[in-house]
Amino acid sequence: MHSVLQRGNAILAYALSVLAFLTFLCFASTVFLDYRTHAEMNTVKVVVKNVPDYSASREKNDLGFLTFDLQTDLSHLFNWNVKQLFLYLTAEYETPSNQLNQVVLWDKIIQRGENSVLDFKNMNTKYYFWDDGNGLKGNKNVTLTLSWNIIPNAGLLPNIFSYGSHSFKFPVEYTTSRM
Amino acid sequence: MDFINSIPTHMDFDGQARAEKYSRVIITLFGAVGIIWGYIIQQFSQTVYILAAGFLLAAILTIPPWPIYRKRALHWQKARSSDSVEHSKKKKK
Repeated sequence: MHSVLQRGNAILAYALSVLAFLTFLCFASTVFLDYRTHAEMNTVKVVVKNVPDYSASREKNDLGFLTFDLQTDLSHLFNWNVKQLFLYLTAEYETPSNQLNQVVLWDKIIQRGENSVLDFKNMNTKYYFWDDGNGLKGNKNVTLTLSWNIIPNAGLLPNIFSYGSHSFKFPVEYTTSRM
Repeated sequence: MDFINSIPTHMDFDGQARAEKYSRVIITLFGAVGIIWGYIIQQFSQTVYILAAGFLLAAILTIPPWPIYRKRALHWQKARSSDSVEHSKKKKK
C-alpha cells in the first residue's frame, strides 16, 4: 500500500525527471545556433616602453600601451539558454622566440538584460600588455581579436571568435616619457 | 490520541492508481505548457516556475488521501471458518 510519503516521493521524483528532460530540450534547441557575429575594432594610440617587469624576471621587458575603439552588436546572441557573455580582447603576435603569443588585454561580462550594443571609443586596456622579452618594439603585425565565452543555463561553454580583427604595428622606438 | 487515529489516511487500491495517474498527467501537462511558454518568451526560468506550480498542484491533489480516492474499496471475500480452511488444505494434499 502506498503511504503519503511514498506518493510524495514518487511525484517529486517524476517532477525532477520532467525538469531534467525540459532542460535537455532547452539545450537541444540552442546547441546548433551560430553565435558568431561581426565586431569592429581599431587602435587609437600605440606606444611601447622598455621597463623592468617586477612581476616576473625583473629584467627589462617590452610593455605595450594602447587604446582602442570597439563596436559590436551582441544583442541577438542572447536567448533562453544564455545567461551571460564573457567578452575578451586578445592580442596575437609572433616574436623570434615564440611563434604565437596571446595576451588578453581587456574583458567584460555582459549579463542578459544588460546593454549589449557596444560602442567604445578610446578605451584603455584592463591588463598589462607585457611581452616576455623585447618582441613588441617594431613588431609589424599584432592582431586584435574579440572572442566571447557563452555561459548557458545548460549545455556547452563554447568560445566564439568574432568576425573581424584589427592588425597594427608597434613603433620602432621606445617611449621613455611618462604618459 | 483517538481523534488522531480516527483520521482516515488510506487510499483504496483504485484510488492509488488514480492518484498516481493524475499526478503524472498534471506534471506532464504543466511541463509541456512551461516549455512552450518559456520558449515563446525565451525565459527558461518561467518554464521551471510553471513546472514547480504543476508539482505543487499535483502534491495538493494527490498526496493527501482525499475522500475521492476511497470510494471503491476492494470487496474481499469473507473469511472462511478455520475448519473449512483446514479441510481444503487437506484436500489439496
